[in-house]
Amino acid sequence: MKLRASLSPLFFASALASTLALALLPVAAHADKLDDIKKAGVLRVAAFDGNPPFGYVDASSKKIVGLDIDYANELGKKLGVKVEIVPTNPANRIPLLSSNKVDLVFANFTITEDRAKVIDFSIPYFASGQQFLAKKGVLKNADGIKDIRVGTDKGTTMETTLREKYPDTKVVLYDDTPLGLAALRNGNIQAFSQDGSKLTAILAALPDKEKYEIPAFAISEEYEGVGVPKGETRLVAFLNDWLRDLEKTGTAQQIYDKWFGPQSKSPLPRLFKIGDTRLRDK
Amino acid sequence: MLSHFDTSQLLAPKYLLWMWHGFQTTLLLSATTVVLATLLGFFLAAARSSAHPGLRLPAAAYTSLFRNTPLLVQLLFWYFGVPGLFPEGTMEWLNATHSVRLLGVVTLSWPSFEFLAAMIGVVLYSTAYVSEEIRAGMRGVPATQSLAGAAIGLTRLQVVHYIVLPQAVRIALPPLLGQYMNILKNTSLTMAIGLAELSYTSRQVEAETFRTFQAFGFATLLYIVAIALIESVGHWHLQARLAHDGKGRH
Repeated sequence: MKLRASLSPLFFASALASTLALALLPVAAHADKLDDIKKAGVLRVAAFDGNPPFGYVDASSKKIVGLDIDYANELGKKLGVKVEIVPTNPANRIPLLSSNKVDLVFANFTITEDRAKVIDFSIPYFASGQQFLAKKGVLKNADGIKDIRVGTDKGTTMETTLREKYPDTKVVLYDDTPLGLAALRNGNIQAFSQDGSKLTAILAALPDKEKYEIPAFAISEEYEGVGVPKGETRLVAFLNDWLRDLEKTGTAQQIYDKWFGPQSKSPLPRLFKIGDTRLRDK
Repeated sequence: MLSHFDTSQLLAPKYLLWMWHGFQTTLLLSATTVVLATLLGFFLAAARSSAHPGLRLPAAAYTSLFRNTPLLVQLLFWYFGVPGLFPEGTMEWLNATHSVRLLGVVTLSWPSFEFLAAMIGVVLYSTAYVSEEIRAGMRGVPATQSLAGAAIGLTRLQVVHYIVLPQAVRIALPPLLGQYMNILKNTSLTMAIGLAELSYTSRQVEAETFRTFQAFGFATLLYIVAIALIESVGHWHLQARLAHDGKGRH
């Protein structure tokens, strides 16, 4: 009796799983998203609508714009189809793809092993990493980290990375980013460490931003790629060629400069080019 | 039942060591504060009891200012607010390492700015409370005692030194020990300004190991041990006093 009670849910689950697998298998074998998109004449893309500068609603045009949107539009041009943006939040990116509500995800999508089990990724077209915000001239390269006092947020991976890679550095932890910034501006710490793209937004908001800089090196790496439904190998190969091409023609650099270039609101040195396997240490 | 005890759920020695270092910082900050706040508290209590309004009024203002604002805000003020007023270069000097070799044996190193700001904040705050306990102790000594001292020709300072203070300290000691316990507990707020004391390190351990119960449980245990030590001083003093009084009656 006890045995049956504990076995039956398992039995149902496995029966369900095998039924699903049987139902999906022929579809997966014949599907070719690339042809489907061309035939439909519409490319449905999931993108952020509240994460500047990757994807956000522009205050004047009320349209979703950003670095990810520019990439999606470039792809639309290449395929000769219309691009339809579907707003998403981080948690919905995989469900939207696997339920076929969208064809691709362009949403600052970090490539991880766990995610790669459920969906496929293109090669990365953007990379970010843990970087530093410091007074100009204080920190020139990664060797300088061990000689200064670095502040960061409590309870983040930033602290762990610093401790593991630079055990001699004096790390001071603050409750949140504004307190860490206050410490930096008062000279309690010489550098504040966070994700590079977050630091640019912080730097842009500082009243005396001309005194500070984000030195062109990172101590950890995260790569963002295009999210593709699982098993679409032809589409992935197409995307990879297209991305490498964008780098060759200079379009990738143009898009980057529009959002992170020296003239942009949040300048961030470009450490990664499409096709690179690592962030560069300039 | 005990055989089910999963030792893998315990904190690794490395993390216990982190928290032990944090505990040492907590004890150092508390001990320094107790000594400084008591010394300053005597002066403040004397100023508040002074007949001269030029001393009495500022002392009263100090007490209400520091007792009526939250300690956390005071700490943020000393750590984040004040350095903005320092001339350029001061913070660089304060944050650099300076050390002095004494007699070639002991090396005294300059504390971090986190420790300095924490010490200034907690000392100034605690002085207001400690001085009030001392003042209460002094008021507990009957005025006739001072008058009697004056009558036998002692100066005002001698009256305070030989007659009022010894009795005042006896009266004030139990509430003072309570204030010292408060000081120890209040040092936990300094984690907001980045001082790596016990609460700060327990949070650090929690963030790294995800062993929430163990990290905060161990910190609680260490705080209890420290508070129990202060309490035992009170008990020991009470016992000694009872024994002394008992002898006196024979």
